[in-house]
Amino acid sequence: MARPLNLIYAVGDVPPPAILIISAIQHVAVMAITLIFPLILAREANLPQAQVLDLVSLSMIGLGFATVCFSIRSHFIGSGYLSPAAYTAIYLGPSLFALHRGGLDLVFGMTVIAGLIQLGVAPLLNRLRALLPSEIAGLVIAIVGLSLASLGVRYSLGIDTGQSVKPEYMIVSGVSLATMCILNIWTKGYGKMFCVLIGIVVGYVVSYLVGVLDLSAITPKTGLVLFHLPRLDHVGWSFDAYLLAPFVVAALAATLRVMGDISNAQRLNDADWVRPNFSSLAGGVSANGIAMIFCGLTGSFGINSYSSSIGLSGATGVTSRSVGYAVGIGFTVLALIPPAAAAFAIMPLPVMGAALFFTAAFVLTSGLQMITARMLDARKNVVIGFSFAMAVVADIYHDALTAVPLVLQPIFGNSLVLGTVCAVLLNLITRIGVRQRVSIKLAAGGINRERVEQFLSEQGARWAARRDVINRATFGVVQLLEILGDPPDGVEVEASFDEFNLDVHVKYVGAPLDIPERKPTPREIMASEDGERLLAGYLLRRSADRIASRQSGDVAEVNLHYDH
Amino acid sequence: MNASALTIGQSRDDGVCVVTLSGRIDSTNANDLMNQLTSLITSGEKSIVVDFAAVLYLTSAAFRALLVATDEAERNAAKFVLCSLGGHVRELFEMGGLLEVFTIHPSRAEAVAQLG
Repeated sequence: MARPLNLIYAVGDVPPPAILIISAIQHVAVMAITLIFPLILAREANLPQAQVLDLVSLSMIGLGFATVCFSIRSHFIGSGYLSPAAYTAIYLGPSLFALHRGGLDLVFGMTVIAGLIQLGVAPLLNRLRALLPSEIAGLVIAIVGLSLASLGVRYSLGIDTGQSVKPEYMIVSGVSLATMCILNIWTKGYGKMFCVLIGIVVGYVVSYLVGVLDLSAITPKTGLVLFHLPRLDHVGWSFDAYLLAPFVVAALAATLRVMGDISNAQRLNDADWVRPNFSSLAGGVSANGIAMIFCGLTGSFGINSYSSSIGLSGATGVTSRSVGYAVGIGFTVLALIPPAAAAFAIMPLPVMGAALFFTAAFVLTSGLQMITARMLDARKNVVIGFSFAMAVVADIYHDALTAVPLVLQPIFGNSLVLGTVCAVLLNLITRIGVRQRVSIKLAAGGINRERVEQFLSEQGARWAARRDVINRATFGVVQLLEILGDPPDGVEVEASFDEFNLDVHVKYVGAPLDIPERKPTPREIMASEDGERLLAGYLLRRSADRIASRQSGDVAEVNLHYDH
Repeated sequence: MNASALTIGQSRDDGVCVVTLSGRIDSTNANDLMNQLTSLITSGEKSIVVDFAAVLYLTSAAFRALLVATDEAERNAAKFVLCSLGGHVRELFEMGGLLEVFTIHPSRAEAVAQLG
């Protein structure tokens, strides 16, 4: 694992206490935005204000517990990376339906069931990795970034059902967003590390000045006490088989999002990242399952990993998993102090919008970078392009697409889920006919470099191989052909690929290749063609991860292996 | 013509002769490159920058051509530098242990400023 240059505190670093605490508060502020989902649930359930505060406090504990679960590094649960949690819109549709069908007890019961499903899926992830290559993980992250940006714009401008823009919201979000951007782009150190938190604080102040901050929205008429243990009066559990399908689909969608988010966290911490580490992904999904069960048992809402927070850690250069533990402690403490819980619960919408929009930029570009690191042919373009388009369409034609049977609503009613399901299905379908072992025969009479380049380039795109590995293999084959000269019966080049290996076998009639160990001196290279051949063999040995030469009868073979 | 075939461009920047290479350099075109560079040096050019920004890859034949040109430049008291070695191309120089053998600048502007 190579540490990226832009990281100030990497995953294994422990920042000084002050940095740790302020970083944790910054994440808490961004994560608290998603308390809106349990609040929607509370409003729909007509909970009295005291119980709403209990639900907010329990939801904050849920966020803290889940963040610790996600960030822990162990064999069974946890990704080992800073991966804060969030309440998610993925569960909004199924939960509201459960609420109307069986009340809050059914919501909490089905939340536990969804957690059990994720716990069951986690150990199977490694077997499914061929279906979820890194370009699909990148697509999921890009779609999440897009949906966060869309939500951010809606909150920033105060767009509701009337589609009108509220000028005071524009002022608040504009000042807040500009603060975040200026600090992130043009400052270093503390300004860059805490740009979002400072932007949120500035947003609160401007909101107060323009009259957007509504303190009475969540404050009981009797006032707030300083310390309060949340009660579980609103909590109960029940089960309804009719709701299994939407919760299974939502759990699978949440699983895909965890995989995308943890992949992104891995990439942020490793300059040499090429593909997801599935053991870490499985730990993340298990953590999500445990956190879901916890939230269901304590009367909260469906929880997931949070792309915005991972975008935030990338933007600020603080990806230390210690921040995750501090977030866990922080949320638990704040949950017991009602004024603190209320302060986050009343975060004005345009401030939320600015934070979401800012972090979405980093999530979106991370996803796009993961996609473009791979070579893409027509099949992959269809998979990525169609799925991305479907995710956008899901938001534009939301009402039309949700007029489907209930079981399909979690898919069609959520852009992330629709885009991801499309990508996985199309990836499965377009794998048909892609051979993993291919070969070409190059006739005698001169080295046909163009054909070798075209062959490996087209095949690399069909396999969605890494561009840099295909470039190395192309060089290796061309360099080898230069050494071999012009064998009388031509040359056969065979390439085989799986996600982890690219092997190229070059067969020809002639003597086996002698691959030198010694590096020639510049004087030797200049002196004669023998010196050049020595360099050619040395470059060949160095450019491949493994090289072997053998002979069987008249036919000699050189095997070039590249780790992928 | 194949998109990856070698093209050799020549221009003058602040009194420095800039040779711009594009495509791949291998045994089919390394001699052309060597001849062009050595004839520039023997014709009296005293400051030459070879820009690799658009080079896809180069094989051992190309390294030999560059070493011969460097040697020729030393004998003619000319300054001969390379610039803009990107990703894979830089890796190949590194693999061959040739990064230290040549004078290499990160960008054309820096190379020209150094020689101009």
